[in-house]
Amino acid sequence: MAEPSRLLIVDDNEDILSTFYEFFNSMGYEVKTAIDGFAALKLLRDKSNFFDCLITDLVMPNISGVGLISIVKKEYSHLKIIAMTGYGDQPGALASEAKADVVLFKPIDLFKIESTVSELINQENNEQEK
Amino acid sequence: MSTPLIGVSKSILKIKELINHVANTCLNVLITGETGVGKEVVAQSLYCESARSSKNFVKINCAALPETLLESELYGYEKGAFTGAHKRRPGKFQTADKGVLFLDEIGDMPMALQSKMLHVLQSGEFSPLGSDQDFKTDVWVIAATNHNLEESIYQKTFREDLFYRLNIIKIDIPPLRERKEDIPSLIEYYFRLYKSEYPENKGTKPESDTLAKLCNYPWPGNVRQLQNCIKKQMVLNSWEKIFEELPKEHHEISPLSRADNNTLEQPIDYHEFSGNRTSIISEFVDLSTSSDKLFEDISLKKIKKLASDKVEKEVIAFVLEKVGWNRSRAAKILKISYKTLLYKMNEFKVHPPVK
Ligand SMILES: Nc1ncnc2c1ncn2[C@@H]1O[C@H](COP(=O)(O)OP(=O)(O)O)[C@@H](O)[C@H]1O
Repeated sequence: MAEPSRLLIVDDNEDILSTFYEFFNSMGYEVKTAIDGFAALKLLRDKSNFFDCLITDLVMPNISGVGLISIVKKEYSHLKIIAMTGYGDQPGALASEAKADVVLFKPIDLFKIESTVSELINQENNEQEK
Repeated sequence: MSTPLIGVSKSILKIKELINHVANTCLNVLITGETGVGKEVVAQSLYCESARSSKNFVKINCAALPETLLESELYGYEKGAFTGAHKRRPGKFQTADKGVLFLDEIGDMPMALQSKMLHVLQSGEFSPLGSDQDFKTDVWVIAATNHNLEESIYQKTFREDLFYRLNIIKIDIPPLRERKEDIPSLIEYYFRLYKSEYPENKGTKPESDTLAKLCNYPWPGNVRQLQNCIKKQMVLNSWEKIFEELPKEHHEISPLSRADNNTLEQPIDYHEFSGNRTSIISEFVDLSTSSDKLFEDISLKKIKKLASDKVEKEVIAFVLEKVGWNRSRAAKILKISYKTLLYKMNEFKVHPPVK
């Protein structure tokens, strides 16, 4: 079997973070988590080629999800990005503007987000094989 | 020359690290904190560490100017744009091109100008007053405010869409009283600075007693106030006089803890309490039913939730009233997050009085 896909999940709500962690872990992903954009950026700077997909909340202290997405698009453009928002349209629109691959609105169905992740990653792999 | 960001507290160290990581991203930054905490110092540090440091750092105070003047300062005007516009004048957006535009007191910007600002940030273009030409802008926007903008959005004095556009990177600087560890290094820094500027000054550095007093003063004017005290000391050379002149009414005690002290002065009478037992219990369970039914209804877990909800609701309303429904202050006092407070206000139906 191929190597497990590696996810970086970012949310300032620890309950959500641990729920996502457990879920994706049980689905066979290798998961790292970060409590805000700054913590996530430090993880990325440390292991830039490690992750396949970033799943991030948008409204967070220090570096917001929108900020994180902009930085990732510029510095780690291979990473697929899923933005999650629970704050009306504004941050979601900014996330699209920052070129997140997918923007999802909370509450989010875990199985739905998993299928989105696997689509995005497979799409990337197929493109590479071509 | 710009001021270095002095401090050894956890929050200042974290801010320095954050500055280091984002200085070259050019993403919009919002810096928040009380007046005098060092918002401009942080903005300058961002600029100095960025690749834009060879270009201009342009500051504009959005609270200091009336609306029309602020607008022409920001965007500039063409000759004849209005009476008195005798010749063309470039705005701050132009002067700051390829550099940094520091929008101080953004929370005080009039609504109409907020709309225009939003438009400029969205499109990356602006046009001077009286001009039909659009200019591309390449400025790094760093904004600062001592308002809680989430609160202002709720009060309809700040545009939500502009807030989200600015709040891409958020740097919150805590008040000096919450990072006392920084006080000795700030004193050291400013002493050295003033001594080198005016070597003839005789003011002495604080002894350990005085230093302790300085560290425990709540500094409502934050670093700026501390800095002024040091300046005074250089001339007066009397810490005693300086302490005398410090405003006293600000003390760290919040209204809540004062209320606490009051109740503690009168010892609690437990007998009175036990007489109340059934009345307390009846607030949460119906005692008038049969024992069987009653015993079924009584669940400590359920009652705990009902009782704590009831007290929480009252405490939240109490604190909100005390702080004039300033929800961010209330959240701080209650030591819960702003989000949690909003959630609880909603759950318990605690609403501000209708004006
Ligand atoms: N961390 C710091 N290190 C050195 N000087 C500081 C620091 N914070 C504030 N100051 C000084 O205190 C004064 C007020 O700072 P400023 O940045 O203007 O505050 P604000 O913009 O938050 O009102 C300035 O003279 C500034 O140089």
